[in-house]
Amino acid sequence: MTLLARFRPLSPLLAVALLMAAPGLGLINAYWSRTVMLIAILSLLVSGLNVVLGYAGELAMGQVALYAVGAYVAGYLGVQFGATNVLLALGAATLAAVLVGLVTGIPGLRLGGWSLAMVTFFLVILVPNTIDILHDFTGGTLGLAAAVPTLFGMEITGTRLYVFILAVTAVWFAIARNLLRSRHGDVFLVLRQSPILASTLGVSVYRLKLLAYVIGAIPAALAGALFSMIDGFIAPETFTFALALSVLAASVVGGATSVYGAIAGAAVLQIGQQTFTQFQDWQLVIYGTFLLVAGVLFNRGLAGLAHDALAAARRRGLLPARPVSAALAVPVEPEAELDRLDGAVLRTEGLSKSFGGNAALREVSIEAKPGEVTALIGPNGSGKTTLLNLICGFYKPSGGSLLLDDDEIAGRAPYRIARLGVTRTFQTPLIPKDMTTLAFVATGRYTSHRVGIAAAVLRLPAFRRGYAADTAESLRLLRWLGIEDLADQQVDSLALGTRRLVEAARALASGPRVFLFDEVGSGLDESDLVVLERVIGAIRRAGGTVILVEHNFPLVLKLADRIHVLSQGQLIASGTPAEIQSDRRVLAEYTGATDEQAETATTKGAQ
Amino acid sequence: MTTVWAGLATGAIYSLVAIGYNVVLLASGTFNFAHAQLLMIGTFLAYTGAVTLGLPVVPAVLLAAAGVGALALLEERTAIRPLLGRSDAHGALITTVGAATILDGLAAALWGRQPLTVPSGLPDRPLELLGGTVRPVDLVLIGLTLLVGVGLHLWSRHSLIGLASLASAEDRDAASARGINVRLLGVGAFVLAGLIAGAFGLLVGARTYAVFNLGHALALFGFVAIAIGGAGSQLGGLIGGFATGLIYAFAARYVGEAYPQLVVFAVFLLILFLRPRGLFGTALERRV
Repeated sequence: MTLLARFRPLSPLLAVALLMAAPGLGLINAYWSRTVMLIAILSLLVSGLNVVLGYAGELAMGQVALYAVGAYVAGYLGVQFGATNVLLALGAATLAAVLVGLVTGIPGLRLGGWSLAMVTFFLVILVPNTIDILHDFTGGTLGLAAAVPTLFGMEITGTRLYVFILAVTAVWFAIARNLLRSRHGDVFLVLRQSPILASTLGVSVYRLKLLAYVIGAIPAALAGALFSMIDGFIAPETFTFALALSVLAASVVGGATSVYGAIAGAAVLQIGQQTFTQFQDWQLVIYGTFLLVAGVLFNRGLAGLAHDALAAARRRGLLPARPVSAALAVPVEPEAELDRLDGAVLRTEGLSKSFGGNAALREVSIEAKPGEVTALIGPNGSGKTTLLNLICGFYKPSGGSLLLDDDEIAGRAPYRIARLGVTRTFQTPLIPKDMTTLAFVATGRYTSHRVGIAAAVLRLPAFRRGYAADTAESLRLLRWLGIEDLADQQVDSLALGTRRLVEAARALASGPRVFLFDEVGSGLDESDLVVLERVIGAIRRAGGTVILVEHNFPLVLKLADRIHVLSQGQLIASGTPAEIQSDRRVLAEYTGATDEQAETATTKGAQ
Repeated sequence: MTTVWAGLATGAIYSLVAIGYNVVLLASGTFNFAHAQLLMIGTFLAYTGAVTLGLPVVPAVLLAAAGVGALALLEERTAIRPLLGRSDAHGALITTVGAATILDGLAAALWGRQPLTVPSGLPDRPLELLGGTVRPVDLVLIGLTLLVGVGLHLWSRHSLIGLASLASAEDRDAASARGINVRLLGVGAFVLAGLIAGAFGLLVGARTYAVFNLGHALALFGFVAIAIGGAGSQLGGLIGGFATGLIYAFAARYVGEAYPQLVVFAVFLLILFLRPRGLFGTALERRV
């Protein structure tokens, strides 16, 4: 097993080396070596799409346009300036891709959903038109004959070109793997599932989506530059809408949320196209069916199948089990107390919010202090969650101010407020797919303990240190909550009570200053509730500021230092649990009971 | 003025696409990418009715409307219904593009790849109107589009079903708690959008020809119309469509034959950048 484990990371390298040597050794003929090159190029296009679609959750249909940009930039450099160096061509193509990515991504991502898809779709439709307009540079409909590519005076043709294309593809996939299998990839997945959760982690949704989109544009342009070298000829007919659809189909067939699925998807589509002549007539119907079926069944493509098969083989003992994550790497002792938290005073002064003409919150002034639990109670629709959303920046206040340690934070973007150390949980826990519990908890540290993208791609020591620290801290928190055994389970397979605990761990992981718990107790059974009480108590003792929105009156009485009662958007009472408990108006309002019934409720609540 | 008429006639088609997007968007919150393809199928069915079967105008229009309505129903069942209740909303991005592609492919396989001329049944002789020339068919197209757009706008604001559909697009759960049959509304919206698209197949086809990849450009320009008008605003979509058509026509006339698409693209990017909610859209705040 140790032998196998040691060679695991090397196996892709071995495969690439074997494939590179194949034509030289006479293992594959010209037809197949061309097919391999075309698969490599298509897989670059698909891989770029996967970063955007499978990870960041935005549909980018413009891979073909970027492909054209890469091809023409490389071709033009060679023809016009005699700059035939392949590395120069790839560099120029990358630069052009980043430029086009920024120009289209900045406006295209302003709105969610379909706007990026449409902007990029527009790019594809514009390709023939643009080639025509720029015919002095592109040769128009006649096409452009590219110069013979070179590298340090050596002509890159035949087998050399084959090796070069495979090498570039391998380097890109190494980059993609290192990027996606890091906290950055995990946060992309969070973004795909829930932009709200991403901003709670302190991530600027817009910038991260733009980043993913621009990164995804790069391999497409590289593919274009490589393509211009294969045939030595670039014509507009290559860059069709059908090709755009085949990239999309290859992505869903291979599995969009995977690194190597792109290669499998590209191979299926490329070989299918070459093998079946009827494919041409029915290609649109076939692509469309792939998309429809994959979208509806939500299968994870060939990569998903392979993943399931491996997991099944491991269960049956046919393959050695994966080492259970680092449980092992970093021994930690279960601790009763948390490290010191640097709590902050959160104050609202006359905070108001109205939607249209409806006042959801009127002139609410509360203060939450470090080392205290401040509870907000009130019937449904009384404005509790509105207040939380105002604090987090999801709503902009209509009036009043919101102060964190005397700094005005009202109106700031949610991710900025999160970065100041305000964290929250949700009424319905927001839990991403395709991620382990441990990785999810570690995303809590993404902005507070940031490791750069370059460090992740190059696997620098800073990345290794950061990763180990994230893992150790997340495991420590899970152990502290008594759910360490779930570290390697898919986080979306957990039950509601456990999800709330995991959310608490995620919130704690960044070492925040202010905690907002939104109806943290609802739907929990006794044992989970006990753990949560312990968590909130420990945060309080460690000096954190806790704001608790809760329906469970006995729980509030037990935990809170101060209680604020909201009704119809107004603060009707504030005080210690004892004061609130004896306030008849509160009980009447809160339980909807008459005075006499309220009396009974008080006694019950106190029990 | 002739340019204005041409712009308005092209714009009417974009408005129709935008109206179709909005009908579905308003009732079910889904963006049906394939709507432009439904209109494309409408032009082919109108061709089949009017030319292949030699039907008079009214039965040909009814045939196209019924056919596209049925297709829309089928699309809802296969591409949208299975996704309802999923936590992430990205499924429809893929499935409606899939449905659109299948429709493209089927049209190419059934009717071929060459453009087909669809006869409108109206006189071909251009009219002189307000200092420009315009074909009767274009005039009818503009007029009927205005009628349908304004009618749907009033209907969505004032009828019970319209209000119910607004409510269910806003919040499905709340609407269904109020006794609104959310699912039926969603299906109804698809069918209505399909019926309208089919009914206009003859007029649209008379202007653009019936061709299998008609849907691509229409989908885009219809979306630009929505971007200008603001998603979910019938009146905005109507105006956005005409505006897009006029921009297109004037760019073709004064910038150059090759440039209208680029100009529309530039306007599209500018609008997304400067006023992402559109000129008539209202800002929605995110809810948790």
